[in-house]
Amino acid sequence: MTSFNVIRWIIWKDFVTELRSRETISSMVFFALIIILIFSFSFSMDQQAAREVVAGIMWVAFAFTGIIGLGKSFATELQNDCLEALQMVPEAKGAIYLGKVAANFAFMFLVEILLFPMFVILFNLDVVEEISLLLLVFLLATVGLSAIGTLFSALTVQIRAREVMLPILLLPLVVPVMIAAVEATKGALNGDPLVLYEQWLELLAVYDVVFTVVSFWLFELVMDS
Amino acid sequence: MIACHGIGKSYGHFQVLHDVNLTIAEGECFALFGPNGSGKTTLLKVLATLERPSTGHFEILGMHGLKDKEAIRANLMFLAHGTHLYDELNARENLAFALALRGHHPTDRDVKRALDRVAIGAFADMKVRYYSAGMKKRLALAKAMLAKPNVLLLDEPFTALDSAGTEILREYVRERLSGNGTVLLSTHDYDKTRPIASRAGILRQGALREVSVEALESDDLV
Repeated sequence: MTSFNVIRWIIWKDFVTELRSRETISSMVFFALIIILIFSFSFSMDQQAAREVVAGIMWVAFAFTGIIGLGKSFATELQNDCLEALQMVPEAKGAIYLGKVAANFAFMFLVEILLFPMFVILFNLDVVEEISLLLLVFLLATVGLSAIGTLFSALTVQIRAREVMLPILLLPLVVPVMIAAVEATKGALNGDPLVLYEQWLELLAVYDVVFTVVSFWLFELVMDS
Repeated sequence: MIACHGIGKSYGHFQVLHDVNLTIAEGECFALFGPNGSGKTTLLKVLATLERPSTGHFEILGMHGLKDKEAIRANLMFLAHGTHLYDELNARENLAFALALRGHHPTDRDVKRALDRVAIGAFADMKVRYYSAGMKKRLALAKAMLAKPNVLLLDEPFTALDSAGTEILREYVRERLSGNGTVLLSTHDYDKTRPIASRAGILRQGALREVSVEALESDDLV
């Protein structure tokens, strides 16, 4: 019950501070818009060609904006040494991890939902029938990114070159998520039968479970070191 | 009660603390003096379970410092250099958040009383971003008042506090001591510390030497 309270309060604190500062989401959206605009003007293509490449562009944009949000997640705790207060919470640190994962997931998912219409407009996509499957792909991939990303955000927060170290350490580990998300998104956008790309959704689900559990246990060590 | 047994701490080849032995009983306030870089903050961080000692061990309230960290943390409050406050939250929200993570849920009345006691009740709904350093220090003190810890670690607590704030802090320390609490504070300010310190010690290059509170007045290294 106490752990549930810790999760709830961490989410509340991250939401309220973000709502008032608007630092994380605004920088994520701004960065993603630049990527989308550059790519949309770089390619001149018909709808079929767009469906082939847009999945890759979309996940490049989502992954890099996600890293911006993840980097800020623990960096904000350095203000007034708040990280020390989190380290001193008399509870298993897994509750703090789950609260942070939930908040990071919500910010990343919100940005993806805000940006998706831009992809639809600029790449002339017809996605009405596939929208629920696309949302499922976004959800599964974003859980994976936030699960492992939150751990690495905590791991690199005290490092002087954390802005550089976070992507260097994180990106190789999220390659399976990126490949599965791109393939599943491409399948959904092409209107392929689910059976042709459901293995990618399964891979995302397995990755989410494995990395959430592993990161949950490792977080205690990261916070204590 | 705090008991340190041969605590040493080093960062790489740099030895910050050497064989620190110290026992502070319930109801005692131990004042830790020493020049900058002598290891005062490091010792407090070790006892606050934020740093692991390189050698030796310690007990707080009879609990082992390395094995019973969570239980120690539930009974201890560390008022550090950083105030552990979120700039985007107001005073009430900061208190609610910090105390909820410790499993406390004070009533609005308790929060108001604590904020009034540290004389920042009028600024309860103002974001901490706009607080002065002294007001932040008072808010951190209000947090300690509501948490009612058995062990209080204070790192240079008088810094940024005006004379009224200093008196509020001393009054709170006396209150904790009369409730059988244990207080360890690091400071450079002999005059402000003398009225509350039961015992004192000087850390020099990581080595602790206990001295009488009166002797500190003439010690030119404090």
